[in-house]
Amino acid sequence: MFSQWMVGIAFFLHASSRYRHVKKFFHNLLENPSYPYKKFFDYTMMVLIIISVYILILHVKHDVSPKWIFFNNYVVSFIFFIEYLLRLWIFSDTSKIVIEQYEHDVFIQRRFNYFDAFRSIVKNKLSFVTSTSAIIDMLAIMPFFHEFRILRVFILFRVFKLFRYSRSLTQLVSILSSKKFEIFTLGIFATVIIMVSSVLIYVMEAHNPESKINTLFDAVYWSVVTIFTVGYGDFVPVTDEGRIVAMAIIVAGIAVISFATSIVVSAFTEKLDEIKEEKLIDDVGKIDQFYLICGYSPLSAEVARQFIRHGNKIVILERDKEKVQQAHKDGFTALAYDSGSLHSYKAIKIDIPTQVKAVILLRDSDVLNVYTALTIREISPTVILLSILHQDENRRKLSLAGINEVVYTQELIGLISKEVSGRPVAFEVIHALRSENSGVFIEEIGLDRMMAERFFEVARLPLFYKRLIVLGIYKTSESKFLFNPSTDLTINEGDVGIVIATRSLIDEFKTLMYQKGKK
Amino acid sequence: MIHNSALVFGFNEYAKQITLQISSEYPSFTVFVMNETEKAAARLAGFEAELFDLSEDWKSIEDRFDINDLIIFCALDNDAENVFLTISLRATFEHIPIIALAGDHESAEKMKSAGANKVMPILQITAGIISEMLEKPTVTEVLHDIFYEDSALKIAQITIPEESFVVGKHLHDIDWGSEYDVLVLAIVDHQLGATFSFTSRGHNHHIDPDDILVVIGYEDKIATFSRAMGVMI
Repeated sequence: MFSQWMVGIAFFLHASSRYRHVKKFFHNLLENPSYPYKKFFDYTMMVLIIISVYILILHVKHDVSPKWIFFNNYVVSFIFFIEYLLRLWIFSDTSKIVIEQYEHDVFIQRRFNYFDAFRSIVKNKLSFVTSTSAIIDMLAIMPFFHEFRILRVFILFRVFKLFRYSRSLTQLVSILSSKKFEIFTLGIFATVIIMVSSVLIYVMEAHNPESKINTLFDAVYWSVVTIFTVGYGDFVPVTDEGRIVAMAIIVAGIAVISFATSIVVSAFTEKLDEIKEEKLIDDVGKIDQFYLICGYSPLSAEVARQFIRHGNKIVILERDKEKVQQAHKDGFTALAYDSGSLHSYKAIKIDIPTQVKAVILLRDSDVLNVYTALTIREISPTVILLSILHQDENRRKLSLAGINEVVYTQELIGLISKEVSGRPVAFEVIHALRSENSGVFIEEIGLDRMMAERFFEVARLPLFYKRLIVLGIYKTSESKFLFNPSTDLTINEGDVGIVIATRSLIDEFKTLMYQKGKK
Repeated sequence: MIHNSALVFGFNEYAKQITLQISSEYPSFTVFVMNETEKAAARLAGFEAELFDLSEDWKSIEDRFDINDLIIFCALDNDAENVFLTISLRATFEHIPIIALAGDHESAEKMKSAGANKVMPILQITAGIISEMLEKPTVTEVLHDIFYEDSALKIAQITIPEESFVVGKHLHDIDWGSEYDVLVLAIVDHQLGATFSFTSRGHNHHIDPDDILVVIGYEDKIATFSRAMGVMI
């Protein structure tokens, strides 16, 4: 009966989209660094911790309003308690454990053993409860026993709790934990020296009535203060034997400090690239719309420059770390990941359908570009893919891989050569328009309903007479370009107007179309 | 503007495409290559190539071609060699139009200093096209059709003859769009200099003989317009 009830609830929860949705929300809020609202939660918790510590410090020598004491002891602790329970809840999927156990038992034709399932759940949740961060969380809930002075030490755990909400602090811990073995060795070394020197100094000094070191605790205190090169001077050896011990421990102290410094420095040096990369990935995750360039070469650099000049953002993916370093030197955002691997896109957390305007494939060969295109098509069937073509015979293969636009530079140069030699002035005019260096631009204006209605009305204004050339209208529904259209042409929403004018005039044209449309 | 003879130096993929594109435009064209490999590649593509080396004095060219009716394309693989070739040709032939390929902007500057009339920096051209294709897809499509495809819409440069009725008039005196169904994009006004000015700058140029109008329009309209101007294209 109980087992049926347990399995029933497990299946119900597993199938409930509402339950999943709520759990996912709390998971994102508590654990997902890329979730946009997590930072608000983190800041709130950090403010609570700071208020809590401040109240405690203030309370040492001043009277604090009972309301604040109540807030600190009960409200903050209650919020932390709720947070602890939520973390315990989202740590694992209990319903899944029950279902797996049930299906396992059914498969091997055995009666469902709810005790095994229960044991798995407890074991699973215990692994959360016994984790360092959960222990700190638990202890941080406690300080409402602040009436006992010694229990005020629990406030420390609230400070430790800050580590959960600050990425930099988490990184600091992870950097130091990468040197666990070295830190452990250093700890053993320092402990042995402290123990030996404490015993020696006690033996040498304790019997001397002039010495202040009278107990073993005094000896340990003196050893610790000396070995870590603080040397308060409140306890000093007075016998020759004691001073010999002091000299030895001072030398050992320098060794301990040097060892400790080198561990920390080497840990930071080794992790520096990793930290920088994580920061970069975070930054890329925050970019709204960008062009993704796969492969870094002089052409990629030039393409990136062109996009940046037009106010766009770009991200470069390149497998070769040396090339990535070069890209950084050239001032671009570049990540050392293979653009042909699905794993890369998971690691760098780029959401191609929403973040990427278009992917530009500029890798060293058609083979790599086709491979990368197929990888990206697996993630997004709709994102625009543009690729450079290295060998003309591979053109069809690129199209089959789902690449929308192909640029074959060699052919382009051939076509341009023909124009340059045949109609040099005409070519120069178009080239100047395209390069946008002449101050006159050719611009396409996507027309919404309002702009479509007002297009010709605004174009006929005296301001634009002979200064704004309407080259034509691209009728999107018919995929047809109408050159030099008559002003009675009906323009529809979604059509594109192509105009030639100076930048300021084009901007004015767009503004007036919009304003008149609004009126 | 079309010359009778064209010389293409080099036979890499770029030179091959140049050769393929211009072969129908010039009654006579010759490919010069630096080694047997390129010569074989040219033969494979259906072109007979001749060998040359950079130390030549180019007298043979003077003997074989009318240098007043000749255009040269320098498309060697190596930018340094291409610059050297350009400067050698310019040293011998002061007035022959030379169109040269350059790997990047830096080489392009050197090529211009070496005397090339027009330089095509491959990197910048490719990057420009890529950026334009993604940022202004409709403009790219329309311009590509006008320039390179067999669409009825064409771009033309029309030199105003002395006896043309427009001589003495101002650019804005005529409504080109409604009268001739062509759009005048730019004018080379020789009174103001050798370079062109965009009409959308708003200056009302005085039209003189030999000024050049750069117009866009349908092929038949351009022909009508040219006849009206007193020229044939």
